Amino acid sequence: MTATTTAITTSPPRFVRADGPDKVTGSGRYTADLSLTGVLAAKFRYANIGHARIVRLDVTAARAMPGVFAVLTADDVPDVRFGPFVQDRTLFARDVVRFEGEIVAAVAAVNAVVAQRAVDAIVVEYEPLPVINDIEAALSVESALVHPDWQSYGAADALVRDRNDASFASITKGDVGAGMAAADHIIESRYVADGCHAVPIEPRAVVAQWEGNKVTIWTTTQVPFDARAGVCETLQLPTNRVRIIVPHLGGGFGGKCGFHYEAHIAALARVAKRPVRLVFTRREEFIAPDRRRESIVFNIETGVLDDGTITARRAWLAMDNGAYTADAAFFSQLAAMHTAGPYRIPNVQVEAHLVYTNHQPSGSVRAPTAPQACWALESHTDEVAAAVGIDPVEFRRRNAVDTGAVGPSGQTYGEIGLQQCIDLAAGGAGYGQPLPDDEAIGVAIGWWPSFSVPSGAYIKIDGDGAGQIITGAQECGTGSVMTLRDLAADELGMKPEDFELVYQDTAVAPYDMGATGSQTLLNNGRAVIAAAGQVAEQLKKLAADHLEAAEADIVLADGHAYVAGTPATTVSLVELAGIAAGGQLLIGHGSSTPAEAPPLAGSSCVGDLGMAAFVAPQFSCHAVRVKLDRDTGVARVLHVSAAHDSGIIINPIGAHGQVEGAVMMGIGQALSEGTTYDDQARQRNAALLEYKLQTCADAPPILVQFVEIFTPDAGPRGAKGLAEAPNIATAAAISNALAKLIGRPVRQLPMTAERVWNTIQGDAS
Amino acid sequence: MTDSTTASGTFDVTLDVNGIAYPVHIEQDRNLLSVIRGEVGLTGTKEGCDDCECGACMVLLDGRPVNSCSYLAVQAQGRAITTIEGVMTGDDLHPLQQALLDEGGVQCGFCTPGMIMSAMALLADNPSPSEEQVRIGLSGNLCRCTGYTRIVAAVQRAAAVPHA
Repeated sequence: MTATTTAITTSPPRFVRADGPDKVTGSGRYTADLSLTGVLAAKFRYANIGHARIVRLDVTAARAMPGVFAVLTADDVPDVRFGPFVQDRTLFARDVVRFEGEIVAAVAAVNAVVAQRAVDAIVVEYEPLPVINDIEAALSVESALVHPDWQSYGAADALVRDRNDASFASITKGDVGAGMAAADHIIESRYVADGCHAVPIEPRAVVAQWEGNKVTIWTTTQVPFDARAGVCETLQLPTNRVRIIVPHLGGGFGGKCGFHYEAHIAALARVAKRPVRLVFTRREEFIAPDRRRESIVFNIETGVLDDGTITARRAWLAMDNGAYTADAAFFSQLAAMHTAGPYRIPNVQVEAHLVYTNHQPSGSVRAPTAPQACWALESHTDEVAAAVGIDPVEFRRRNAVDTGAVGPSGQTYGEIGLQQCIDLAAGGAGYGQPLPDDEAIGVAIGWWPSFSVPSGAYIKIDGDGAGQIITGAQECGTGSVMTLRDLAADELGMKPEDFELVYQDTAVAPYDMGATGSQTLLNNGRAVIAAAGQVAEQLKKLAADHLEAAEADIVLADGHAYVAGTPATTVSLVELAGIAAGGQLLIGHGSSTPAEAPPLAGSSCVGDLGMAAFVAPQFSCHAVRVKLDRDTGVARVLHVSAAHDSGIIINPIGAHGQVEGAVMMGIGQALSEGTTYDDQARQRNAALLEYKLQTCADAPPILVQFVEIFTPDAGPRGAKGLAEAPNIATAAAISNALAKLIGRPVRQLPMTAERVWNTIQGDAS
Repeated sequence: MTDSTTASGTFDVTLDVNGIAYPVHIEQDRNLLSVIRGEVGLTGTKEGCDDCECGACMVLLDGRPVNSCSYLAVQAQGRAITTIEGVMTGDDLHPLQQALLDEGGVQCGFCTPGMIMSAMALLADNPSPSEEQVRIGLSGNLCRCTGYTRIVAAVQRAAAVPHA
């Protein structure tokens, strides 16, 4: 293995994505752009109350309205509880509503105006129940329960549940008591991160149409096969009668993972006997989906020697699960890992709770739990470094993991590039050079696993030599599906433009987990290479026959097959494709074999969902220069230097785009993006006017550098994942810059001007 | 609630979209975005918030950028409406479109049409904008994917301004 450090700072090679022309001309179709003859409009009746018992639900008047074709409630669909880890959810509220965005009824009508009138005509009367609005209070034994029947729900065997605690996890290594006793200093910190949102610019949309007993659903999901599974489970259909097609997807960031509304719209369309279309408003985007980033409360304690050696870390955290568990059950163990951090610590005890409240359910948003945990841990780490008088960058160099080191869960890392990331990020920021007294550079490190999972693809080459890659993979904007053409072309000696992509259709392609877990290139890339390898063998056999040479001597390059050593003895791939069209067709299939989880030694995990062993871990360091107006508390990010070990970079322009976009999302999370609730657990800022995203005018210059290292169990050509990792360390680095400028950390995320100003004034809260 | 579908609440208007006259029969409260997408049948213009906050619905009215979600369609009569579908010249991409592809300024693509319309208005006003002027000119268009870096570079490339 060769380890090379490549600093790519400007002008990455051009890569024009296959879906680019559709997107710049407006000709690309997104789900809300589709229209079908006779299509009806869907609208939902939401609870609009945090916690209540339904004492009356009457849809008679709504059903009687002209132009209304279907009104559904829980009584009109199979009585199925679903959820990937805890089966605590139903399509429609049954007896009790547990958050404001819970769906009580659904309407399909001739247009959206009539549908909304029908929704308004539905009579619902509630008996209020105690509103559980605070994570820590919900854990007390006196708290009312969000799910009094929690014990009767089906759940994954590994889960540890108790009352409002939907998933408890701990990571224990060594003897944390002894480690603390041996320390020269013990530093304790408390941090609280508010919840926030993915906010893809495209709101969700779903269109469903039945033909006979089969349904086709066009939808804005990041995970078509997961969406199909949800429809099949809740409407009790076999997988081969449900077809999920995703037109172009207008961003996701995890927010469109999981199973959302496809079954509601399919059920409406079946009753209405007409196609039905749902298009969300921005307000619905904020309140309804079970995918928003979770609020977390952190108590972190670290023991350290005078020389800066960490002897022990103890942490307790409580996360807001919201009213239903969605995919968040694994967050406990993952957040525990991120609160332990990528450090060499002999003694670790981290406990994490995922707590039911009457808030919108939490779910995977871009590197779930990691930005908040990194923000808390890395802010705490600067406090620890200050306690022993060591520069924060030097402190991280001494304590962060490196190749061959043992991490907090007892995993020994192969070749990794975290130390190089620290050097590159700090160097790129000009760390250590004098700055004006209202500016400072904060530094933070982060990590993230690569998710190695099954994935499949087919490749075919038709008689004219044109290729198709038929893949289960989903493109959400990152460009990872677009990059698959390059992998196939390389295997076959063809050009990327020789291939069209057929993707995002569960009826035509084999399984893939979807645009989630930064896994597309890692897993589907392997599948595409395997499929292309089969076609390559078929082409070589044909060429060997045609050129009267040995198959082993055939080389595929530049659109031709030739005999090694005699390039003049050649035949074009187009000609071979024509021959194949009259005989054995050129068809390949590939399936990615997941890597085994790396072993852990010396640690024990309660509530183990496999998140303590990081396959092909990715590392990062961000160094951010911040300017603070001390009179107003307004912080402005002047420059971001981001260094990443995500393995070998296959598509540099796409990789840069991932880091730049994630950094901006991190700046938003740091300074402006956070959900606030009223006393009835309703969101107070469910609109883009009140929930502020960063604009083009806010964006600083972002220096992106990659440490390209071959880590064991990485994907094709040494690539690891990338889409989530750059979203992790930015907010933490901004926090550390602010703490330098203020003299103490801002202990609540987002670090709004008001909170910064209060911290300047000495309010420690 | 007024019944906006009654005859008294509807209008026959002719909209000039990308140089083509479209006669439409619409309610007085219809916004321009919904008419462009629903009646004219051009779906390249996107709806992201219906609140003037995201810019995905940006079109040009007589060359000026307008959030079409918050503009009454009946008021657009007699004005030249340009949407993303009217940006190409024949089969040739506009330099802004080509630059966005070359610079990697497109990811999910949902903000892209609105971004292009804002950039066209900017360049019409100021053919050689500085990076700062580009950033301010595009600040009404939210992009969640790119971090804006490559979009700004694309606009400057299209304007044939050396990169800052």
